[in-house]
Amino acid sequence: MKKTRAFKPSTLGKQILPYLLAVLAAFIAAGIFLWLMGFNVLQAYQTILFTSFKSRNGFIQTLLKFIPLVLTALAFTIPMKASKFNIGSEGQLIFGAIGATATGIMFADLPALALIPLILFVGMICGALWALIPAWLLYRFNVSEILSTVLMNFISFSVLDYIATEVWRDPLAGHPTTIPISESGRLPLLVSSPPLHSGLLIVILVAVLVYIYTDYTSAGYELVATGANPKAAKVFGINTKILFLLALVLGGSMAGLAGAIEVAGKHHRLIEGMQSNFMALGIIIGLLSKGNHGVVPFVAFFIAMLEVGANAMQRTMAIPIEMVFIVEALILIFTLLSDTRKK
Amino acid sequence: MDLEQITGFIGLVFLSFVPYIFASQGTMLAGRTGQFNVSQEGVMLAGASIGFLVADRFDSIFIGVLAAMLVGGLFGLIYTFATTTLNLNQFVIGLALFFVGMALSTLAFKLVVGVTLSPPLIDTLKKIPIPLLSKIPVLGPILFNQNIFVYLSLFLSWFLYYFLYKTSWGLQLRAVGENPKAADSLGINVTATRYAAAIIGAMLVGMAGAYLPMAYTGTFTEGITQGRGWLSTALTFFGGWQPHTIFVGALFFSAVEVLALRVQVLRSGIPHQVLLTLPYIITLLVMVFGSRWVRIPGFLGKNYDREKRSVG
Repeated sequence: MKKTRAFKPSTLGKQILPYLLAVLAAFIAAGIFLWLMGFNVLQAYQTILFTSFKSRNGFIQTLLKFIPLVLTALAFTIPMKASKFNIGSEGQLIFGAIGATATGIMFADLPALALIPLILFVGMICGALWALIPAWLLYRFNVSEILSTVLMNFISFSVLDYIATEVWRDPLAGHPTTIPISESGRLPLLVSSPPLHSGLLIVILVAVLVYIYTDYTSAGYELVATGANPKAAKVFGINTKILFLLALVLGGSMAGLAGAIEVAGKHHRLIEGMQSNFMALGIIIGLLSKGNHGVVPFVAFFIAMLEVGANAMQRTMAIPIEMVFIVEALILIFTLLSDTRKK
Repeated sequence: MDLEQITGFIGLVFLSFVPYIFASQGTMLAGRTGQFNVSQEGVMLAGASIGFLVADRFDSIFIGVLAAMLVGGLFGLIYTFATTTLNLNQFVIGLALFFVGMALSTLAFKLVVGVTLSPPLIDTLKKIPIPLLSKIPVLGPILFNQNIFVYLSLFLSWFLYYFLYKTSWGLQLRAVGENPKAADSLGINVTATRYAAAIIGAMLVGMAGAYLPMAYTGTFTEGITQGRGWLSTALTFFGGWQPHTIFVGALFFSAVEVLALRVQVLRSGIPHQVLLTLPYIITLLVMVFGSRWVRIPGFLGKNYDREKRSVG
């Protein structure tokens, strides 16, 4: 398909149609299940779809979910552009959060103007370093990054637990949690009540920069070319092995930034379980967007909306939140199924 | 350490050996037909949750295990349908099914049991001493005084070895994973072989999950597998996709697991978090060295399209 045709409305419709059908099919499948379980399907779906827009609080909650989701999606899609799979954004996010917390506690005396950028920078570096281990194992020993990135997640859980229970434990918290970071390390708020922090602006900026990098620069083109056909890329003088490593490390830095923003903007401390299911959702967003960086933020917003709706549904109707996660996985599977038709 | 402690230790190794064996041999079986399925962690979780719930409802471990195998088989069926019949990317489908399994395990438990601090408990597996054999010194308590799944896992490893290398069916199955075009030209039904291997393999993975609540906790907890599905996938990889090397690798894995727990109890001063990371770090190290000598099935991870001229 030629690229220019994509801008004709009829073709654009044809591109979006499979997604709409996939969403519809997933909702119908889940609806039948909910109906059989004796839940009020209509009310459940109203809650899932409209909670984000019914109140100011709902919309801000959606934006707060949106922030880490865009970054964990980028942590997956940037390596995916180079045909590598990063299933380790969970661990990279945790390490970014650890780095951010450590900076926020140890350099508490710095003024906000210095401390906030430092926290974000250290978070990115920590995420990148955590991704560098599997990336280097791939580069040096040809170890499959799929498994090594996953295993690194499990190691990070223990490191997080150690820091939250032994190093900077908050004795007042019942759950493994560290003491808070310095006041001057916290991201300024855009809206004070309910609080919406300025991480939103950072994330939008990063998403645009990544889009420009992969779609409009020659360095990004090398990355995409390597992913599309590594052998051909090699013939044209691209060092593909280094690019694989770079792509994974860059992905790791995105997840690390997500962790740092969660600490500096939302929690102001390190909390066990703060990684939530951002990795799985990020991967789903990345796969749904098919690695198209112009689309990632929009898909991320859609998923954030479903997640906020799912929370509300669990609260008001006692339908477990996992129900919506299954819907999201089904949307992914049905979208993939629609690809077979085109072949 | 006296002899009794050593036999006790090795006995525990065989107890934690079971899930690795079932999950890895299941992964291997599908892999030998060219299917690299990464949904193990999710399928194990679904097997653990549904196996436990059914066992609790019918008060029968046997029915619980059957249910877990059925769920696993269903995952295997969907996997092969999407990859072999619809020709979708194996890795992406595996990931999607991993997510579904993970969510399904918690969803089913929440819907049936609800959110509670005192979940229902089932009786954990009993040891079944084998008459006479269990009286043999040293070997008896290690190998012949275990629960039924330990015996099954030993039998399964031997059986798969025999099946793959000593029967013509096994040869055909391996041929499908090495060169489906050649296998096809010899009249082997590539699609049917892939379906059978993936479904049976995933049934074993589901069973591996069901073993966890039945052998250890007596109940299902969120994330009960603690990465065992992924570890098993790694084990299959550096076990070279062969039943006998996987057997040895699984013994090594479970020894590390038991050792880490032991040291924790001894209050050695090493933070327990360090010990918890050991299985993963050791797996990474083994993968570094393993990647040099292992051989993977020639067609692993690829889909076969018999209408195409070229293979791969």
